[in-house]
Amino acid sequence: MTRDAIETALRTIFLERFEIEEVALDDDLRDKHEFDSIDAIELLREIEILLGRELTRPEKKAAMDIRTLGHIIDYVNDLAASGGGPPEKTPKKSAGGP
Amino acid sequence: MNERRVVITAASAITPIGHTREAITHSLTRGISGVKPLRDDGLLTRHIHSQVFGTVDYPLEFDFKRSNRKTMGPVSYYACQTAREALARSGLSEEFITSGRLGVAFGSTHGSPTEQRNIYKTFFAENLAGLREIGAVNYLKSMVHTTAVNITKMFGITGRVISSSTACTTSSQSIGFGYETIRFGRQDAMLCGGADEYDTTTVAVFDNLLACSTDFNETPQHTPRPFDTRRDGLVVGEGAGALVLEEYQHAKKRNAPILGEIIGFACNNNGGDLILPNKDGITQTIRLALDDARITPQQVDFVSAHATATKMGDVIEAQAMGEVYGRAPRVCGLKSYMGHTMGSCGAIETILTLYMMQAGFIAPTRNLEEIDPRCAMVRHTVELKEAPLGIAAVQNFAFGGVNTVLLIKKFDSP
Repeated sequence: MTRDAIETALRTIFLERFEIEEVALDDDLRDKHEFDSIDAIELLREIEILLGRELTRPEKKAAMDIRTLGHIIDYVNDLAASGGGPPEKTPKKSAGGP
Repeated sequence: MNERRVVITAASAITPIGHTREAITHSLTRGISGVKPLRDDGLLTRHIHSQVFGTVDYPLEFDFKRSNRKTMGPVSYYACQTAREALARSGLSEEFITSGRLGVAFGSTHGSPTEQRNIYKTFFAENLAGLREIGAVNYLKSMVHTTAVNITKMFGITGRVISSSTACTTSSQSIGFGYETIRFGRQDAMLCGGADEYDTTTVAVFDNLLACSTDFNETPQHTPRPFDTRRDGLVVGEGAGALVLEEYQHAKKRNAPILGEIIGFACNNNGGDLILPNKDGITQTIRLALDDARITPQQVDFVSAHATATKMGDVIEAQAMGEVYGRAPRVCGLKSYMGHTMGSCGAIETILTLYMMQAGFIAPTRNLEEIDPRCAMVRHTVELKEAPLGIAAVQNFAFGGVNTVLLIKKFDSP
């Protein structure tokens, strides 16, 4: 997956899932687009679908400090380049809340 | 402890008989019912004997940002819409709303059952295929205090949060606890109320308990029938109500419109059976509220009875009212217009009472054609009355033996 394809896919996700239309690569997503921690969790799930695999816990934790679209593209690009392993056998146990 | 006066400076309701004050007043004065055929939910409806529902069937335009919508189930749409309208009508500044001096007391029967169904569909699906799709958003939409915290988020409210969830006394507790919070100086204002969305689960539960109306499925407007000999049970409904409660001096200083004053509140429990109505418990609640307000029973002009139209509930409530009040105050069962709006009924019935108080009329109990002799010891309102309404009581009782009484006074400046 090329970097351009990743950007296009992410922009589509931002538009369709988060109703964020105009986003610059270095916009602070929280300050400028009200993109909060709940959105970040949703986005990680979208990235899993995009990559066709589940992310590991360390991979997810690595995303927690990301604030801009540019950095998200870098993040997804690195994940795609590292090659997707097979989906985890055991899904993360979550009933949708703390 | 220094006790402060608490006034109501704004209100908004979404009810089966209308949204605006004008629409609601129109329905109350023309005897228009909001009870309609039960909508099909594709799951329970066809198994339920009671095929009537207090329905909000008019268009509502919601204009919420995505950042708010994402954590809101249907119940929070109702709650946030009434909260938004009440705050706007109150004229409170954004600076005050976000200052920490305004709190929220808002609840629902059990959050958003629509969202809960979505979650459980996933849990019970084969291979748990969609489990990973369930996330924080689903929980935030469905959780019991979803209405209260979606309101805090939408308006940046940083004061205390109370989110009672005691079925039919949910929002009367919200108002009562909000009143006490201001009265005893913990907050200067409270946004109080409750909401419940369209939900057949509640209908199914009451249906199984033989508590729902089933005799009028073909003529929904003829049920519920509080205190009537032909009453055959309650009708579940949907809706929301929000009120802004404010410390009197604070409201006065900013020349806020004042709809009424809360002068008393009581909440207690029957201390035993969780379902059966209890005359001693209700009687005690009424007396506690009167003591709280330091008034006599003779000073109460009007009682908004809980009056669900169940066989025994109405009899016990009438006996309790008769014992305390005799035949002095006029009584109306407002659920006769819209069914039992569950967690929102206390707030909605308080708002309707305020509307009547301000307009100077008392609505009759709909469908009360022949008063059950066992309920005849009180002064039922059987036709529309133009009457000054100085002090009103709003009574609500819930599964679990919870009872509340609010006492509201027409506002007159001291």
